[in-house]
Amino acid sequence: MKTLAQFLVLAMCPAVTIAQQSRAVPSPPDLQGVYQAISDRITLPGGRKNAGSPRAIELLPEAAEQARSAGLKKDPWKMCQPVGPFRMMAKEETKIELVPVNAMIVMLFEDLSHGMLRTIYMKRGHPAKLEPTWLGDSVGRWDGGTLVVDTTGFNDKTWLNEAGAQHSDALHLVERIRPVLDGRYLEYKIAAEDPKTLAKPYSYTRYYKKIDTEVMDDPCHDEDDE
Amino acid sequence: MRSALSRTFVVLLVLGIESDLARAQPRNEAHPDWTGYYTLATRSDLAGSGFKQDAPGEQLNNLIIPHLQPWAKARMEATDGVADDTGQVCLPDGIFRYPSMAGRFLWLQERGRIVMVFDNVNTAGVRRIYLDTPHPKNPIPSWNGHSAGRWEGDTLMVDTVGFNDQSWLFGGMEPHTEEAHLIERIRRPGNGAFMEIAITVEDRHALTSAYTYNRYYKKQPDSTEMAEDVCNEDPETWKQFRDKALKKELDRSRQVK
Repeated sequence: MKTLAQFLVLAMCPAVTIAQQSRAVPSPPDLQGVYQAISDRITLPGGRKNAGSPRAIELLPEAAEQARSAGLKKDPWKMCQPVGPFRMMAKEETKIELVPVNAMIVMLFEDLSHGMLRTIYMKRGHPAKLEPTWLGDSVGRWDGGTLVVDTTGFNDKTWLNEAGAQHSDALHLVERIRPVLDGRYLEYKIAAEDPKTLAKPYSYTRYYKKIDTEVMDDPCHDEDDE
Repeated sequence: MRSALSRTFVVLLVLGIESDLARAQPRNEAHPDWTGYYTLATRSDLAGSGFKQDAPGEQLNNLIIPHLQPWAKARMEATDGVADDTGQVCLPDGIFRYPSMAGRFLWLQERGRIVMVFDNVNTAGVRRIYLDTPHPKNPIPSWNGHSAGRWEGDTLMVDTVGFNDQSWLFGGMEPHTEEAHLIERIRRPGNGAFMEIAITVEDRHALTSAYTYNRYYKKQPDSTEMAEDVCNEDPETWKQFRDKALKKELDRSRQVK
């Protein structure tokens, strides 16, 4: 019987060794969970805090004039339309749920009408020909422990901020998302470039706190205030 | 023998293997992963399978209406197909309607929960089925309710309560109350070719008795992607519908006063 016990232990040892070796290879962090944007007033350990804002983008002259003449009542936000990731992710208290499955990571917004859902495809590049959409086509890859999301293929219907700044179909977003502070927070950085409307690329940073909560229905109501 | 195995178990515990094994096999992962994109099975999809949709399409109204209490039937007959249809103003249809009618959804299976993302996301929304978790004592009434699921073998049993009373049971505008109770048995018959959802709806305040029917869905190839579907593409039309709906709601509240 002693032999049997020894055999079982020895039989498990290679598995332990393999498990230890596989732990040595960095694997992408598990992003599954519900996260909520923290306030600009909060500073996290290490001096981490939100920085920048969609309001601070610099527009080309023609785009600036277009923004000045935009009727703010036609703000997609007030029409219960999607507002696009650049604006949505900056909003205080935005709540998202990340669902990594198979070849994609799905990002669901509690504020479904304004945020909708984004599907980040992990095993393909952008199609050669893209039909423009409100939220664009998102592809992701891991850069160490950071998820890098590249999004193109936008239509020109969303605004970059509530001041009427519009963008073109050349809008290109690159997001870098990684867990920080033992996975209790997500660091979210987004960079936008649009040679037709932005004077120069612009980026901002937000921190999202991982929260243990259920995500509720939150349909859009007319004239919701941003 | 027993003592030798016990010692072995102790050794395994010391090595931390037992806890690793436990972590490696969470309850949800012991079940088949049904993650994928599903669409309502057509008659040709089901041909020769032995399965069929009960009361397909608009016929579902005929199945539901005989179960309505008199007040619910009167309310249904008093509705306006545009002004009272929440989906027309890009509010949720509720999960009684969309899955049984158009029924395209992403089924995302993860730890502790299953997420169903409906293709028409503005009006059908997102539904989360929490596994092995009881309903909250007093769920906040919501469009899609609170869904609790548990596996019985390879069948997923889903119980949903906590609905608001703003959506309809189906396109004929059959009303329900906050007492609505949705019971679903979900499995993959036909060697996994289909997802079968056996649906039972109870509502002691709106129905004289429960009604039951089946829906079958077909899993699409893994390369299938769910297209973006924005309800409110045309805000001017939306505003017209919304204004009409708001006026009707106002008139109704005046009548109540």
